[in-house]
Amino acid sequence: MPFIPKTKPFPGAVHAVTLGTGEKAITLGGQNVLPFYTFDAPIENAPKLGIEISDSAEGWDVPGLAEFYAGCETMAQRAQKAAAMPGVDFLCLNFASADPNGANRSAEACAADAKAVAGAVDMPLVIMGCKNMEKDSLLFAKISEALQGQNILVLSAKSEDYKTVGATVALAYGHKVGAETADDINLAKQLNIMLKGLSVKPESIVMNIGTAAVGYGYEYVASTLDRVRAAALAQADADLQMPIIAPVSTDTWAVKESTASEEDVPAWGSREERGIHMEISTAAADLVGGADAVILRHPAAVEAIRKFIDQLV
Amino acid sequence: MALKGLDIFKLSPKKNCKECGLPTCMAFCMKVAQGSVSIDKCPYFSEEAKAMLSESTAPAMKTVTVGGHKLGGETVLFRHEKTLVSKNLYAVSVSTDMSEAAVDAALAQMAAIDYVRIGERMHVEFVQVANTQSDPAAYAALVKKAAATGRSLILECWDASCAKAALEVCGGDVILDGATPENWEAMNALAKEAGVVLGVWAENLSDLYDTVKKLEAAGNKNLVLDVTGATPKQTFANAVLVRRGALRDGERSFGYPSIVNIAKISGGDDRLATAYASAFTEKYGSILVMRNMSYAQALPLYGLRQNIYTDPQKPMKVESKIYPINGADENSPCALTVDFALTYFLVSGELERSGQPVNLIITDASGMSVLTAWAAGKLSSGSIKQTFEQLDVENKIKNRTLIIPGKVAVMKGEIQEKLPGWNVVVGPAEAVQLPKYLKDKEYEAAASVAAAAAAAPAQEQPELTFRQLLETRVPKIEIVDMGVTYRGRNPESKAFVTIGERIHCIAPAIRKAMDERDPAPILKRAAEQIAAGATYLDVNIGPAEKDGPERMMWAVKLLQENFNNVPLVLDTANKKAIEAGIHVYNRTNGKPVVNSADAGSRLSFIDLAAANDAICIALCSADGIAKDNDERMMHCENMLEHGLRLGMQADDLWFDPLFLVVKGMQEKQLEILEAIKMFSDKGLKSTGGLSNNSNGAPKHVRPVMDSALLAMAMMQGLTSAIINPNDRRMMETIKACDIIKNNVLYSDSFLEL
Repeated sequence: MPFIPKTKPFPGAVHAVTLGTGEKAITLGGQNVLPFYTFDAPIENAPKLGIEISDSAEGWDVPGLAEFYAGCETMAQRAQKAAAMPGVDFLCLNFASADPNGANRSAEACAADAKAVAGAVDMPLVIMGCKNMEKDSLLFAKISEALQGQNILVLSAKSEDYKTVGATVALAYGHKVGAETADDINLAKQLNIMLKGLSVKPESIVMNIGTAAVGYGYEYVASTLDRVRAAALAQADADLQMPIIAPVSTDTWAVKESTASEEDVPAWGSREERGIHMEISTAAADLVGGADAVILRHPAAVEAIRKFIDQLV
Repeated sequence: MALKGLDIFKLSPKKNCKECGLPTCMAFCMKVAQGSVSIDKCPYFSEEAKAMLSESTAPAMKTVTVGGHKLGGETVLFRHEKTLVSKNLYAVSVSTDMSEAAVDAALAQMAAIDYVRIGERMHVEFVQVANTQSDPAAYAALVKKAAATGRSLILECWDASCAKAALEVCGGDVILDGATPENWEAMNALAKEAGVVLGVWAENLSDLYDTVKKLEAAGNKNLVLDVTGATPKQTFANAVLVRRGALRDGERSFGYPSIVNIAKISGGDDRLATAYASAFTEKYGSILVMRNMSYAQALPLYGLRQNIYTDPQKPMKVESKIYPINGADENSPCALTVDFALTYFLVSGELERSGQPVNLIITDASGMSVLTAWAAGKLSSGSIKQTFEQLDVENKIKNRTLIIPGKVAVMKGEIQEKLPGWNVVVGPAEAVQLPKYLKDKEYEAAASVAAAAAAAPAQEQPELTFRQLLETRVPKIEIVDMGVTYRGRNPESKAFVTIGERIHCIAPAIRKAMDERDPAPILKRAAEQIAAGATYLDVNIGPAEKDGPERMMWAVKLLQENFNNVPLVLDTANKKAIEAGIHVYNRTNGKPVVNSADAGSRLSFIDLAAANDAICIALCSADGIAKDNDERMMHCENMLEHGLRLGMQADDLWFDPLFLVVKGMQEKQLEILEAIKMFSDKGLKSTGGLSNNSNGAPKHVRPVMDSALLAMAMMQGLTSAIINPNDRRMMETIKACDIIKNNVLYSDSFLEL
């Protein structure tokens, strides 16, 4: 008696959301099966891979990264360098320097940087704020205005500021908006409902349902991914069918495994290699759980995750 | 699908004859379901029932043990559905193709990975020894070398003569990963003779399935399945289809642990190997074979594994111990809090932020937050004293200042009494205030005051009888006209019993009123609840370690004398206080209710109820929420049996399934309703804190959620609930359900009654 696996797609599917314009535009989501379950049905759009571009390169001190970006002075130059890397689908511009408790660069200066990047590369752009809610709403507005027509994704609107962020990013300038919650499936659904209530179209929303580096409470991320995907596919819950983006690098490069110096823990070996593996492991776990896009920092991690995606789809 | 204990119970003789050595048929069936007792131990199961069960009681996925490591035994595909039970293990591969130096280097690097991460040893559990030639002596030599590492072995070898030689040198308890569609008979013979686990591999799933079937027919079910395919994509498909086939589609021949050879599919690329190992940690690899294991790989991979295999059903607890913060030593002051993980992270984070050296002492409180633990009696001066003894704080730390959480300032005196020599100081109520509190050294002044107080000779207090206490310590009860009177009730009435939950020490106003014996706030809440139609009132006096008896006597007399002997639920962890309360209790409108017993450390509350002819609320848990209804019903059976043995009526035990929060445990709600039905089918009464259902939901949503659940629960046979009677929608729902259930005769004005 031969074994015949019971395979079939789900009744629901993840929304397809397009980022960028022209030839390099990408589509997140669209599939009606669990990640990499190609035996149930073909994967509509392979998960996408983004590379994080720093606005200051501050703290990006591991040798491989420094070498990769050697000679780059501006964000636009770094973006060009990263965009030339094979296998990169989109760029994520991190404007940490806008933080009022840090360098406090003006929203205008950041928007000028973003505009310069858009002029230098033709890849889809994702914008990451400085995590200060007040400053971010200003920053997002300026950047959305400067990049009008570019169909960017802005990270993110939260339940506290979804009205301002949703209204400027998606309604006023027609970009895509990230909906960010922290490992809470009920809140993730609620935030999507509230954004839709503002008249943001479902096809303009990408979720960030919470992130963590592996080893750091990652079980909450894993189970939230599992449950969100189950709701989207098996229950066909239209309020959770948005594709998911996982900013991996900002978490993984901040934990002890990636920051402890080789003098402090000689047994652990190369700090750079540790950071790369933390990034790869977290990204792979996110992708298998349900992320439709991941954001990485190190070119070596990009290379490995590119192979991983290509070989599994 | 594996059968649940309750399904087996339905087929059981239900004689409770104890001939199997277990107290009840239910207990026996639970054990059979867990696989720890054979069904043959019962002489009364019909042959027909046995035949039906023997096939279906086998678990969907077998648990295989090698070298003391447990593999498989999973019951769900996703951790949130229940929990994953056997973490994936790692192997490092050596092969006969490698030079001796390369083998030595790989084994040495592997041995270097051995560390502890949050209480768990992290190391490579297996060495996989791959045979690529047909030289038995060479293979045996390599296996011998690998065995010398002390790790368990996987012999990847398809050549029977090589396998035979290898088995002779490694002495059993290994995995012989060698059966294929071609050689399975020879390999099966070898594995059986050596008594080892047999690994099975085939080019595609159909061949794998057929080969397993043949092995099973030959009597071997001690198997693992090597699902490694020609490509990563095929391997992933194999791993998922095998596990999903076993757990979702009932393909028993795929119900075995898996081996995934990461080394093969990542082709020498260690970074890619990390990606694949992470993927197969989440999706269904039982043993992951690596080319090597460095710290760069181990740190994320073991961290991920530890997270994924955390049991989501267990409260997040941290270990009870002394955590020195900011380089604290024996001369640094101590701060104390509970073992709830979120509390610990919050408090330790703020302590770190203060920059001050502090010894943080974590005391066992069953993973509850400070106030909840205190109200439940899990954080008491007794439990703190026990922690101090267990951790030997007395000798480990010289400083004698102990800062306690501001939220339990009331405990200061009790703790001071239990820990003579310590200066107990009340810290801030919120963790965020800690840095300032510590930097300003506010505790130093308080500590010297405490020291002076402690130095004063303590007065020995003679133990007084309830009567003496009543005469000397309980203030005279004043009768206040609150404009409401309790209507009286026939204790035999079938109507749903609502227990008003609002007189609870967790509310600051009530806590203060109890401490000061101030009747007004208590009478106010009582009047509101009685006016709304509450049947019973719950009286939570807190843990009341010091003055429990007089507190409870005062509260009981205050409420009953003011409100026409309203029946009461006596709610505290202090048993003496409950006894005292019953001593002054008037039974006109119903027996007193003891809140509450459980099947764990609070089982003796049933004894207390039995000795005092009281009703007892029995939580179907034993220190932690029950995993499933099998466990819930086992606790129910145990408590019922315990109560009956003490001469209680079954009606006097009200079983509480423990209602769960929708936000977070939505998929468990139906299970709770099912449990209520099971109580009701056994003719048992039930109750519970139903409004926990809507905890954390917006105010306007809560009454809707709660009354819907209540109606469904009443349909299942719920006989009582601990609720807020001032939730009008809920009270009206109860009245309507009582009509529909024919508990109360209908009249047009039934809502006003």
